[in-house]
Amino acid sequence: MSAGAPWPKMTSREEFQFIAELVLKCSTADHTLVTLQDQDGGTTRFANNQIVQNVNTRRGSVAVTVAFGARQGTATTTDFTAGSLHEMVKRAEAIARVSPEDPEFLPPVGSQEYGACPAARGETIKAGPAVRLEYANEAIGQCRMENLSGAGIVSSSRAAVGVAAGTGLLAFEERTEARFSITVQSGDATGWASSAHRSIDRLKVQERTLSAIRKAIQGADPQELPPGRYRVILEPAAVAGLWSWIIWMLEAKAYLKGTSPFAGKLKRRILDKRILLENSPGHADLLGVGFTSEGLPSTASRWIRHGALQQLLYDRFTAQAQKIIVIPTIEAPCLSIEGTPAGSLAKLIQSTDRAILVTNFWYLRTVNPTDLTLTGMTRDGTFLVENGEIVSAVKNFRFHESPLRAFQQVEAWTAPMEAVTSETGKMLVPAVVLPEFHFSSVTRF
Amino acid sequence: MPTPSWDDFAGLALKRLASSGAEYGDIRIQRATTQAIRGEDRRIASIRDQDDIGFGVRVLYHGAWGFAASSILSLEEVPRVTDLAVEIAKGSASIAVEKVVLAREPVHRDRIITPVRIDPFTVPLEQKTGLLLATMDRLQQEVGVVRSSAGLWTRRDRKLFASTEGARVEFDLLASSGDCTATALHDGRFASRSFNTPQLRRGYELIEEADFLRRASLVARQAVEKVRSPAVEAGRYDLVLDPEHLSLTMHESCGHPSELDRALGYEANYAGTSFLTTDKRGTFRYGSPHVNLVADNTEPDTLAATGYDDDGVACQKWDIVREGIFVGYCTNREVAPKIGEARSRGSNRADGWGSVPIVRIANIGLEPGSATLDQLIADVKRGIYIEGHGSYSIDQRRYNFQFGGDAFWLIENGQRTHMLRDVIYHGITPEFWNSCDGVADRAHRRRYGFITCGKGQPGQSGWMSHPASHARFRNIQVIRGEGRS
Repeated sequence: MSAGAPWPKMTSREEFQFIAELVLKCSTADHTLVTLQDQDGGTTRFANNQIVQNVNTRRGSVAVTVAFGARQGTATTTDFTAGSLHEMVKRAEAIARVSPEDPEFLPPVGSQEYGACPAARGETIKAGPAVRLEYANEAIGQCRMENLSGAGIVSSSRAAVGVAAGTGLLAFEERTEARFSITVQSGDATGWASSAHRSIDRLKVQERTLSAIRKAIQGADPQELPPGRYRVILEPAAVAGLWSWIIWMLEAKAYLKGTSPFAGKLKRRILDKRILLENSPGHADLLGVGFTSEGLPSTASRWIRHGALQQLLYDRFTAQAQKIIVIPTIEAPCLSIEGTPAGSLAKLIQSTDRAILVTNFWYLRTVNPTDLTLTGMTRDGTFLVENGEIVSAVKNFRFHESPLRAFQQVEAWTAPMEAVTSETGKMLVPAVVLPEFHFSSVTRF
Repeated sequence: MPTPSWDDFAGLALKRLASSGAEYGDIRIQRATTQAIRGEDRRIASIRDQDDIGFGVRVLYHGAWGFAASSILSLEEVPRVTDLAVEIAKGSASIAVEKVVLAREPVHRDRIITPVRIDPFTVPLEQKTGLLLATMDRLQQEVGVVRSSAGLWTRRDRKLFASTEGARVEFDLLASSGDCTATALHDGRFASRSFNTPQLRRGYELIEEADFLRRASLVARQAVEKVRSPAVEAGRYDLVLDPEHLSLTMHESCGHPSELDRALGYEANYAGTSFLTTDKRGTFRYGSPHVNLVADNTEPDTLAATGYDDDGVACQKWDIVREGIFVGYCTNREVAPKIGEARSRGSNRADGWGSVPIVRIANIGLEPGSATLDQLIADVKRGIYIEGHGSYSIDQRRYNFQFGGDAFWLIENGQRTHMLRDVIYHGITPEFWNSCDGVADRAHRRRYGFITCGKGQPGQSGWMSHPASHARFRNIQVIRGEGRS
C-alpha cells in the first residue's frame, strides 16, 4: 500500500526489514528484538462551531530490546539514520550489561503465522487535512442550521508497524484509523455521539451529528432526581465504559497473587449466564490488529461464555508458568447476550416502564479494586424513561457500582453495536436494561 | 557541507513562514531523553531509555491556526512540514468566522537551564537498580505484603523556540521522580500504600534526599495495617488533608476549572467546560476567606516553571482565588484577549514537539496559613486525616467530585488514632472549599504535582506542581468505598 502513497511515504515492509537487519547486525547481544511504529495522522478540532485546532504529525520511532543472558535493556529513537540506529543499539546494550538478571526474562518468540487482518484502508491513507476539514465543516454546518453550538474532532491516521527478532520473527502491518466525535450544546444541555473505523468513509458524520443534536435538544430543562438505586437503560458507550474496566482487570499475574477482583473465579460464573465476551481481530467493524507488540498473533478467542470467566490476560512468563500454549489477546472485544435481542435502542426504551437512560459515562475510576467498585458521572444525555417514552432530561448522576454486580442480571438488550468513548477504545456491545444501578449523588446540571 | 544546526532549521522555517502571508508562525525543535526504570515484585521489569527528537511548526494565517510536525529533522523535511502547516492554516481560515488575535508579548531572547546538583543521567545504572531492588526487598520483608513495585524516572528536554516575531529561547530542562508501593493481602481483600517523591525540576539529589529504604519500611507497615483496618462508617466528618492529597484535590477542582479555554468551550467535547464561567470572575465566592490559590510559574524547581511557555510568553505569578473569591484564569495569547486581558498569563504548553500547545493549568498552590498540623487535628472531634492519592473522579464542569486517598486515620477528640480503609469523600467544589477553616503554615508546605494531566484531542500530558500545606475541611460527606454502600 505504500507504493504510490501520498507524502509522507511511510516505512514499507522492505524498509522495515532493512532497518531490522541493520539493527540485528549491530547488536552483539544474545537476543535482540526490534519494533517499529511509523505514524502519520492529524486531527481537525472544532468548538463553538469554529476550527480551533488543526494539526498533522508524522512520528517514526524504532525501539530495540537486547539481552545478555537474562539481563536486558531497551532504547528507542525517532531518528532512522544508520548512525542513530547504531547508537540506539549501543545504548540498549550498555543498559543490559549492567542490569540485574530478570528471573522472568524470556527470549523473543520465533517466526509466527499471522492470519489476515484488514487493518488498513486506502481511503483513510489518502485522506489528509482537506478531507478532515470537509467532515468537520459538515458537522459544524448541521449545528449552525439548528442554531446550536458544536465541538468535536475528525481525525485520521495511518501507521506502519513492525516487529522483528534474531529468532526469525518478522511481523509487519499497515494500519489506519479514523475517528469522529461531537458534543452539541443547547443552552445548558449537551448531546454527544462518536464513531471510529478503519475507513474514514465509515464515520457516519451526518448521522452521529444529528444524534448529538437530538440529545442536546431533548436535554433541556433537566429535573433533579434523588440519588438511589434505579433501573437503567445503558446505551452502548456507557456499557463499553464499564466493560473496559472488566477487561483491564483480567491480568493473570494479579489473579495468581490474589490481588485481582477475579481471584479464584476462573472457569466460574461471574456474570449473567447469557453473557458472551469474545475477541474478534478480523471483524471489519472493529480495530483489530494482526499481532501484538511482542510479535504474537492476535487470536479470536472467548473470554466469558455463559457468564463464566474463560481466560486471563497473560504476559509470556506467566503464560509459560501456567502452561498456556496460545496466549489469548483482546484488542477487538465484542460483547453479546445470548437470546433474542430487542430490535433497536428505541424498542428497548419502548418496552421499559421506568428507568434512567444513560448515553455515556465519564471519568470512570476504581473505588475498590477488590470487588471492582467503580465511580463515574453520567454525561451528555441522561433521561427519565416512563411508560416506554423519554419523559424528561435529568441532572447528571455520580454512580458507585461494580459492573460485576450490575451485570448479574440483564433484563433486555439489543444486538451488539458500535461503542467508542474518549476513555475506551472501540468495542461492539449491546445497549442493555439492568434492573438496579446505584447512583450515589447528583451534580448541578 | 557541515551538519545544519537547530538555528539553521529554525531559520529555514521562519523564512518560509515570512513569505507565506501568515501573520504569525513559530517553530519548536525538541529532543526529549527519558530514562524509566520499573521494578516489580523484587525484579527489575524494564529499563527504557527513550530518545525522541522532532519539530513542530505553528502558523496563524488570516486568523486561523495550522500545525504540522515531524520526527525527521532534515533540510528537505523542514520546508515540507512548514508548507503543510501553512496549507492546514489556510484550510482553517477558509471556514473561520471569528479570527484569532494574539495578545502582545515582548520579544524574548533567552536561555533557560534547570539547575541540578546531580545529573540523573550520570548516575550509574547499577546504583539505581540496586536502590530499587533494595527498596522492594524492604517492602516484601513485611509479613502480609504480597506485591511490591518501585520506579525511578527522569527526563531531559532540550528545546529551541523561535517565532516570526523574533523570539528565540533555548531550553535545557530536567525533571525527576521516584516511587514505591506495597500491596498487602488479608482476608480475601487487598490494599496498597505508596511513597512518591514529588515530581520536580531537580536532579538525582531528589532521590538521594528521599531516603527510600526508610520510607519503604513505613509504607510496608502501613499497607498491612491498612488492609487489616476497619472500613470507615459512612457519615459526615471533618477532614484534614495532607499536601500530597491536596495536590490532586486542587488540580481537579481548582486547576482545571480555571483554564480559560475550558470556560470558553474549547474542551467541550473531551475534558469538559468549567463552572467558573467568565461572568463569575471577580465576584464568585469559590471558597472561604482561608482559601488563597496562587498560580506561580516562577517558583524554582516546580514543573511549570520553564522560564517561558510555548507561546514564548514569560512565566508569571498571579492570583486564581484571593480570600475565597475567584479572580483569575490560566490563559494563553489566543484566549487572554477574549476576557479583555492585554497579556497572556503564559500557560500555553505542549507535551512535546509533535503536539500543538494548549492552555494548561499553572503551578497553582494553596497559600499557607498560620496553624500547625497538630493544631488542625486538635480542633477535630470526629474526623479523618488523609494522606496521598487514591481514587478520583469529577464531572466535566468540575462541580461534583469524589476522592479517595492512599492512607486514612480516624481522628477522635483531637487525636489521630488508628488507620481506616475504604474512605471516599464527595462534594460540590465551591461548597467544599467554603468549608475550609484552616491551613497549616509554610513549614508544612510540600510541592507535589503531575506529569500525566490528560487534556486535548489528540491527548496530551501536562506537567504542573500544586504546592500546599495541610488544610482542614469541616463536615464533609464520607462514604465507604466498597460493596453496596
